[in-house]
Amino acid sequence: MVFEPLILEHVEKSFKDGDKENHIVRNLSFRLKMGEVVAVIGPSGSGKSTFLSIAGALQSPDEGQVIVNGTNISSYSDIEKANIRLNHLGYIFQTSNLVPYLKVEEQLSLVLKMANQWTKESKRKIKEMLSAVGMEHRAKFYPHQLSGGEKQRVAIARAFINDPEIILADEPTASLDPNRSMAIIELISKIVKEQNKSAIIVTHDEQILPLCDRIFGMKDGQLVEVEKR
Amino acid sequence: MYFLPFKEMTFFKVRYLLISFILFFVAILVFVISGLANGLSMNNASSVINMSADTFYLQKSAEGRMDRSHLTIDLGRLTSKSDAQPLGVQMGTISKVNSEDKLDITFMAVKPESFLEPNVMEGKGLISSGENSVLLDHSLKSETIRIGTILKDARSGVKLKVAGFMDDQTFSHTPVALISLDTWKEISGGADKTEFNAIALNRANSSLKEEISSMDKNGEWVEKELVIEGIPGYTAEQNSLYMMLSFLIVIAVFVLAAFFYIMTIQKTAQFGILKAIGAKSSLLVKTTIFQVVLLTIVNIAAAVAFTKGFMMVLPDDIPFIFDMTQIAKFSGILFLVSILGSLLSVFNIVKADPIQAMGRLE
Ligand SMILES: Nc1ncnc2c1ncn2[C@@H]1O[C@H](COP(=O)(O)OP(=O)(O)OP(=O)(O)O)[C@@H](O)[C@H]1O
Ligand SMILES: [Mg+2]
Repeated sequence: MVFEPLILEHVEKSFKDGDKENHIVRNLSFRLKMGEVVAVIGPSGSGKSTFLSIAGALQSPDEGQVIVNGTNISSYSDIEKANIRLNHLGYIFQTSNLVPYLKVEEQLSLVLKMANQWTKESKRKIKEMLSAVGMEHRAKFYPHQLSGGEKQRVAIARAFINDPEIILADEPTASLDPNRSMAIIELISKIVKEQNKSAIIVTHDEQILPLCDRIFGMKDGQLVEVEKR
Repeated sequence: MYFLPFKEMTFFKVRYLLISFILFFVAILVFVISGLANGLSMNNASSVINMSADTFYLQKSAEGRMDRSHLTIDLGRLTSKSDAQPLGVQMGTISKVNSEDKLDITFMAVKPESFLEPNVMEGKGLISSGENSVLLDHSLKSETIRIGTILKDARSGVKLKVAGFMDDQTFSHTPVALISLDTWKEISGGADKTEFNAIALNRANSSLKEEISSMDKNGEWVEKELVIEGIPGYTAEQNSLYMMLSFLIVIAVFVLAAFFYIMTIQKTAQFGILKAIGAKSSLLVKTTIFQVVLLTIVNIAAAVAFTKGFMMVLPDDIPFIFDMTQIAKFSGILFLVSILGSLLSVFNIVKADPIQAMGRLE
């Protein structure tokens, strides 16, 4: 059997909207296999980002289990969740969310230092990572000196630098032109295959779907697998 | 991880320079005003401040005011070596013998060679018998008033010969003219009774204290600080300055707190991002407080140095005293204030939700 680095079981999440309960995620179960890239689609407001942030230990579910690499993190404290994010998860946000005052290479070294993974090898590792996303010539640039696509590529490098098993990307291509979008997803897919990781990509962008292994639709608070066309 | 605040400060130079300037100037204001308060205090009351007495016996009804106190005790037995010494204080006016120019001074009468007689910086001490001699505060030294000059008390007409000059001896902002108790008697009209304002006690000597208390039941012992506060004008002056100082510190609290607060509000998104990639609140709190501590220490140190330089270029007629212990105290207060201001940031950091990085809370 293939290892499943991320498992969600019977997850529930609702938000209070005035005195009305807004039930966004209902009895959601999902298993991510090692080495695959999964796409999640669905209408705006259907709960895709909510699902991803629960999977990414950014928020806790009301009910149900989240199992990362075999450990159940549903009842973890903020500090423990921060450690899970630091060591097992790489997050790519819709806006690249780089730290404004750090140079490109420092964005990556910060993650390694926080995870106590800083070694003699790290400099070389950062260089390799940056050249994998085609950004080695921008290593000394600040985020505000980069284009949108370049920032997104740095964000991808940052998500991969600490060797996480799971990459979670929330509309990583929303602000990019079609060519760039394809290149970015191909990049993520390439790294996932090469390094035997797995990824979930939330997207509105139909053209990238052929690059993914499985496609899920968010419907009535659940993930439903969609046939690949 | 302490490279983060440095990176941030060098990147947002203008923002942090602004905060530095505010810290720096607030500190300077506090230091300069406290220096002026000390200077004025010295300028007002240096005679009593510098006096090597701990406590004073004053008339009860004088309420701690030496100039209002009158005692008539026969202290004939006390020698000039005694730990208890009578002290006369009287505002007066003197002039040169053949001149109309009058000078306001405060007569202080002591037993020559007692512990109450200050060191002279020029000339010699009081002469205990014979002609009436006087020691003057150095501020009275001029072209025409020198050692040997004969002065005249305006009220009694008694002639006084300048024997020497003393360092910082003022009372209620007037220079002190130190005379002997014999001269004092002559000036106050040759009264037979020994009359003076206070008895100064050099060190705690309880038997002597009791002895004096029993001689005049209408007196009380008053600590030196309270006697200083009882000098005319002293309390009002110091209170206004300390009022200014406390307002300044209150304002500093608000300005600094507001600044640090706005700064961290601007940074909450950043905190969210850092948390989303795995930074813990404790790390962010540590680096933020480290940043504030660094900013505060550097700027307070710069302000201390500036105040020191400022004192050097200040003209002599503006009294200013650079009192390191007091500067240290105010530095401590300002430091605490900044740390308190940055505690608002801590609140923001802990509150910052990594989910912000998802772009929901813009
Ligand atoms: N913290 C929150 N408080 C209140 N309501 C929330 C919160 N987070 C999400 N919601 C609600 O949950 C619903 C789903 O939000 P979510 O961001 O998951 O949608 P989405 O599928 O990602 O949409 P989009 O495609 O527009 O990004 C929305 O109606 C939103 O208002
Ligand atoms: Mg979304």
